[in-house]
Formats: sequence, C-alpha cells, structure tokens
Amino acid sequence: MSDQDMAAAVSVLRDEVLDTVEQGDRDPPGTEVFDALVRTLSIGGESVPGLDLNLHDAVARRLAWGDSEEVVLQDAEVVFDRLLVAVDRAFRDPADQMVVIEAATQVAVTVARVVSLAAVSRATRDRADRLREEMTQRQLKEVLEKQKANIARLETDLASGFR
Amino acid sequence: MTTKPPSLGVRVAGDTNVGKVRTTNEDSMILDPIRGLFVVLDGMGGANAGDIASQMARDAIAEFVLHRRSTMPMPALLEQAIQTGSATVFAAAQANRERHGMGTTCVAALMVDPTHVLIGHVGDSRAYLLRGGRLQMLTRDHTIVEELVDRGLLSPEDAERHPYKNVLSRNLGARSETRVDIVEVELKPGDRLLLCSDGLYGYASAEGIQYILGSGDEPEHVARDLIDLALRGGGGDNVTTIVLEAPAAAPSSTQIVRTNGAGAWWQRRQRFLHVAKERGLPKNPIVRGLDPNEALELVALNLCQAIYHDLEKSTGVNVWTFAQTLAGGWFERGGEWAPLRGMMDILGESSRVVVDEIRTLDSQLGFLLDVAVSRALVVAELALGGLLAERLRQVDSDLIMLHTAAQETIEGSIDELLDTGDTGDRFIDRPTIPFLRPDRQVTNSGESAEVINAIEKTLTIARARTVPRAELVKQILSSLEAIATDGAGSFATSVLAARDLYGVRTVDDNGIMPLFDALDQARILTASSVHQIQASDITRARALRAISAAHQRLVGAATGLVLEAAAPFSDKLREAQVKTSEMRDQVAKAERKRAELERRFATNVDASLPWGSRGNTEW
Repeated sequence: MSDQDMAAAVSVLRDEVLDTVEQGDRDPPGTEVFDALVRTLSIGGESVPGLDLNLHDAVARRLAWGDSEEVVLQDAEVVFDRLLVAVDRAFRDPADQMVVIEAATQVAVTVARVVSLAAVSRATRDRADRLREEMTQRQLKEVLEKQKANIARLETDLASGFR
Repeated sequence: MTTKPPSLGVRVAGDTNVGKVRTTNEDSMILDPIRGLFVVLDGMGGANAGDIASQMARDAIAEFVLHRRSTMPMPALLEQAIQTGSATVFAAAQANRERHGMGTTCVAALMVDPTHVLIGHVGDSRAYLLRGGRLQMLTRDHTIVEELVDRGLLSPEDAERHPYKNVLSRNLGARSETRVDIVEVELKPGDRLLLCSDGLYGYASAEGIQYILGSGDEPEHVARDLIDLALRGGGGDNVTTIVLEAPAAAPSSTQIVRTNGAGAWWQRRQRFLHVAKERGLPKNPIVRGLDPNEALELVALNLCQAIYHDLEKSTGVNVWTFAQTLAGGWFERGGEWAPLRGMMDILGESSRVVVDEIRTLDSQLGFLLDVAVSRALVVAELALGGLLAERLRQVDSDLIMLHTAAQETIEGSIDELLDTGDTGDRFIDRPTIPFLRPDRQVTNSGESAEVINAIEKTLTIARARTVPRAELVKQILSSLEAIATDGAGSFATSVLAARDLYGVRTVDDNGIMPLFDALDQARILTASSVHQIQASDITRARALRAISAAHQRLVGAATGLVLEAAAPFSDKLREAQVKTSEMRDQVAKAERKRAELERRFATNVDASLPWGSRGNTEW
C-alpha cells in the first residue's frame, strides 16, 4: 500500500477514532493528534521527530483556548488507544498494521514532546512573573514601612497637645 | 626431487635446467640424502666436453664418499673426494687430446650430523645460507679477480668491472691436485642451505634469491622457483640448484595448541553444547524467554567459537569480548550477579568435560588444551571483574547523586518554609495531577505467551543495537519490556518506570529534552528490531502493538511528571500574586489612615493659632 493510500485508509477511521458522533463537534478532542498521524503516514513517516510544526501550532491553540496540558495529554492517550483498536479491525495485513502503529507511536512521542515544551515554557514564564511579583512586593514593603513611620509620628504629634 | 632421510632429518630437493641460450647442460649434481652428500658441478670447456667433466667429477666424488665415509674424518673425506674428482677429470683430459682443457667447478655439502654440515668448494659455484630470513654467502668465488681483491691488489668496485671477473683461478681438472676450501656450518632449526651454479646468481638478484628461499614453500618448489627466476632473468647459462632445509625445531606448546588444540576443540563443539544443556544453561535467567536451542547457540556456541579463535591466534580478545557483551548486556538490564556467576560456572564445567575427553585420547594435547582453555576462562573472569568494578563505580556515582538530590530537597523544604527559595527543580515523589494516578486503569490487551516472547526478543535485539553510553535509551527499553509484559492493566508500572527515568531533572529544555530524545531513539530502535525477530507477521504486529502501547504509556507518564514538575511554578506565582495583592491593600489602607491623621493634625494645628491666622496654615 502506498503512503497516500495508507493515509487515506487511516483517514476513513477518523469518525471512529475521534468519536465524532458522541462528541458532535467539528473539531473533537484529539483532532490534532489524528491529523498529525495522517500527515506522518502521507509522507511515509520520514518527518524529523519533534518538528511537526502543524502539531505544535494545534497544541498551542488548544492551550491558548484554555485547555490544560494534562487534558491535551489525556486526549492523545484516548486517540492512541482507539486507534490501536480500529487499526486491528480495519487492516488485515499485519505489515500495514505495523506501519500505522509505528506512525502512531511517533506522533505520541511528538505530542508528549510538544506538551512538555509548552509546560516548560509556561514554567519559565511563571518563574519570571514571580520574580517581578517579588520585586513589586519589596517596593510595596518599603512604602508600607514609610507609611507606618509617618502614621506613628502623626499619632505621637496628635497626642502631644495640639488638641 | 625431494627426499627426507630418516637419519639426518633434513629435507632436500634439487633441479637443473639448460637455460635459454645453451644447447647442452654442462651442470651436474649429486643428491644423496642417505650419505648426506649434495653437490653442484658446473662443467666448462664448451666443445671440449664440459658436461663430461662435471659428470666424471660427480661420479668420482660420489664413489669416493660411498667407499670411504666410514673410514675417514669428515673434513678429510670431503676434501679427498673433491681432490679425487679433480684428479679423475685431469687424467681424462690428459688422456684425450680433444678433452684437453675441460674442467668443472664444484660446491659440495656433506652432512656430518643433523646440525653440522661441511661445505667444500672449488671455482665459482656457490653455497648460500638462509637464517632468520637473511641470506649469507658461505663461499668465495675462486676467480682471478677475487684472488686479486683478497691480496689487496684490486678494489671490490674495480673487480665488478674487471674484464677477467669470470676467469676461474681454480677448478677441478686444471691440475692433478687443487686447493679445496672447506667450511663447517652449524645448522639451526629452519635454516636453509642453497648450492647453485653461476647460472643462478648470474641472472637473478640476491634479493630475489633471498625472497624465494625464505618463502616457506617446500624445498622442491623452491629449487624449481629459483631456476624460474634465473630463466626470467635471461637464462643465459645452465642453472642448477639444490635446496636443503634443516630439521625444524620441536613445536612449542603454543604451536601445538594452535595447530591441533584449536581443531580438536572445535570438532567437539556439539559435545560442549550438549554438556552445557545438561547442566541447565537454557534455564538460566539470562536467557529467559529464548528457545533452549537458541539460548545454547547464543551463549555456549558463541563462547566455544571465541575460545576456538583465541586458541588459533594465541590471543584472549575474543573470549574477553564475549564475556563483556554477555555480562554487560545482563547488567544493563538490571540483572543480578548470581545468574551470571551460575552461567559462567556452567560454561567452565562444560569446557572441562570436553577437555578431559580430549585428554583421554591424547594426554599431551589434553594437558596443553586444559591450560589454554583455563587461560581463556580466566580472561573471561577478568572481563567480568572489570565490569563489576565499573558497576561499583556507577553505584558509587548514583549514591553521590542521590545524596546531592536529597540534600537539595531538604534545603528546598527549608527554603519553602522560609518562603525564600525556588521549588521547581526538585525530585518528585508524590503525584499531584490526576493523569499520574497509579491506579488509573489503562487499556490492556492481555498478550499471549508467544507475543510476550516476541516482545522480549524485540527488546533484547534493540538493547544489543543501542550505542555504548546511551544508558537512558537502554533504561527506556528495559522499562518498555516491564510495561508491555505487565498484565495488571493499571498505570502503576508506567508511572514507576517514568519516575525512574525522570530521576533528577531541571525544569528547562536542557533538563527535559534529553529524556524525549532518548524516548524517540528507543521508539526507532524497537520499530526496526521487531522486524528482525523470528516470528509470524501477526505475532510481530501484536508485539509491536504492545510495545507501542507501552511506549505511549511511558511517554505519557514522563510528560505527566514534567507537568507535575512545572506545576509548582504556577502555584508559586499565584501565591506571589495573592501576596502582592494583599500588600497593595495594606498600603492603600495605611495611606487612608495616614491621610486621616494628617487631616486631624492640620485641624488641631489650625485651631491652636490666633483667630486672624486660622485657615492660612499650609501643610
């Protein structure tokens, strides 16, 4: 089976793997994983691991829309599990099954890498934000101490007999 | 012609050729291994019957030695024999006018005993000795030019260009008596003696003669090849060669083992495998999952082959490599010492059984083989010792790393209490995100024994193909085996394996990405290795499916750990943001209070001023 034929044959499994009937959504969870698999198969699994920019963008979009990294990871796991079941049923030739499974594993590792990169980037941003917060806290602390001193002086002056 | 007289133990061969220019062969020779007499004669006189002169001298010398050998001292025997030959030729020349002026050269070798030979010569036929690969001339040509050089009347350089350089000063037949030069040579094992007429060295270089004489070929081939050499050089004269080889030294024990021991050992390889099987090698945990015959071939046959090659080449490198590969692979899979020790004991005992059997057939060979095989096994033990030392160093290094990590964790906890430190780069020991719950159920297809066997074989091959130092990849492959063969159906095995892999890492690209690079490398290795196992396509596909599922779980768990490691950064940020917000509130509240106090202060000050000044106070 050619690469294009293999990609087409897997595309047929889209509704089953993504459970579009149940989800009733145009882009159900895990769509980015399935699309990455079809892309990988269509180019014969020759992509450089971790460099699927479309997958990077798709995962970044999901994170930007508010999905957590954990949710993306869970969706990838679900898609992978459903795909193994579907492939077992849909492809009779064990050699074809192996091609799809190899591609799916490659995509799974790439998704994990992308999610991890996103988490690391977020951790780096959070760390920088936290440093800024701490600097602000130091400035506020100084202001607060000056205010306390002023308040103490004023209270002393008021108590001294201006009444 | 090759002969090997039992009494003298030398091997000798001779050959002669008329050459490419002459029509008659005036050379003669004697090859008498029984009496140890070898002679080359080069007749001269052309039309005056040089061939007859050499034949007459030959017959006279042979007859003299035949009748007088037992009655005369050897040097005198040889000298007298040559003298007799000369006298015979001289007499014949005098008796027949047509043969007047005929003569012959002579170079003769008479064996005194297997280690001593006498060289007698007259004329320009030569004797050479090849010892240790170097060719040396034993005779000096009896030419007028050489005599002049000996007396210091001519330089060797001038002698080469002298017009009379081939004119003999001595020969058999010129006079009734002639001076014979006698040299005694002590032969050493492997020495080669060459007697030849000038038809050889006149048309062949000394280097060519040395090369062929030292070739190690049989004397018969050497004698013939030397003549071919002279013919290729022009073949302008008759050429005769006699090659004599001294008995070789008694073979050393190493040579015996190399030549006979290696062959005897290899012939009994099936016996070796059989004994190893009987002693339970296929049941050893190191070869768990392999077919018994496959296990025997993989371990016992490989060792048998390594010993064979080492015996053949007198080295230990093959056994060393075998032991290192076997033990290294086992240790990398987290294997214990005891099975390896058991395996080596079985192999050692099996080899001793085979050696003992050889000893019953040939006690000397058996003894030598016993020593040689014992040495091979000691080499294997040394290789294991090296690996154990390496393992100890690794354990030491891991302990230091764990200690450092523990210290950092303790210091991190103190920092956390003081609210001053960073908590991101810490070892994670408790799951905080639902995805990492060990009891979470995952899809488990429950593989058959056949598929599990295929999984183990695939990962064994993948491990073997891992490049050295790729410890993380090897660890991942071992983890994949544990997950893929785990029938529990929970996420626990994956989480535990991922925690081992995660170890201590900083939450940045340098800390995390090598883990995913190794996971990808392991994926590529397993995908290619599954095609190399011997199994049906369906079994292979199922094995790949199980390994891929395990891979997905492991990758997922590792990513979960990354998320878990990254989570504290967000938590700390949120805490910091809350604290900042609280401080802002405090500042705002203090500001309001200060403003109120100032207002009251101003009011009081204003009230204390004289009436006309009130309301003018500026603050």
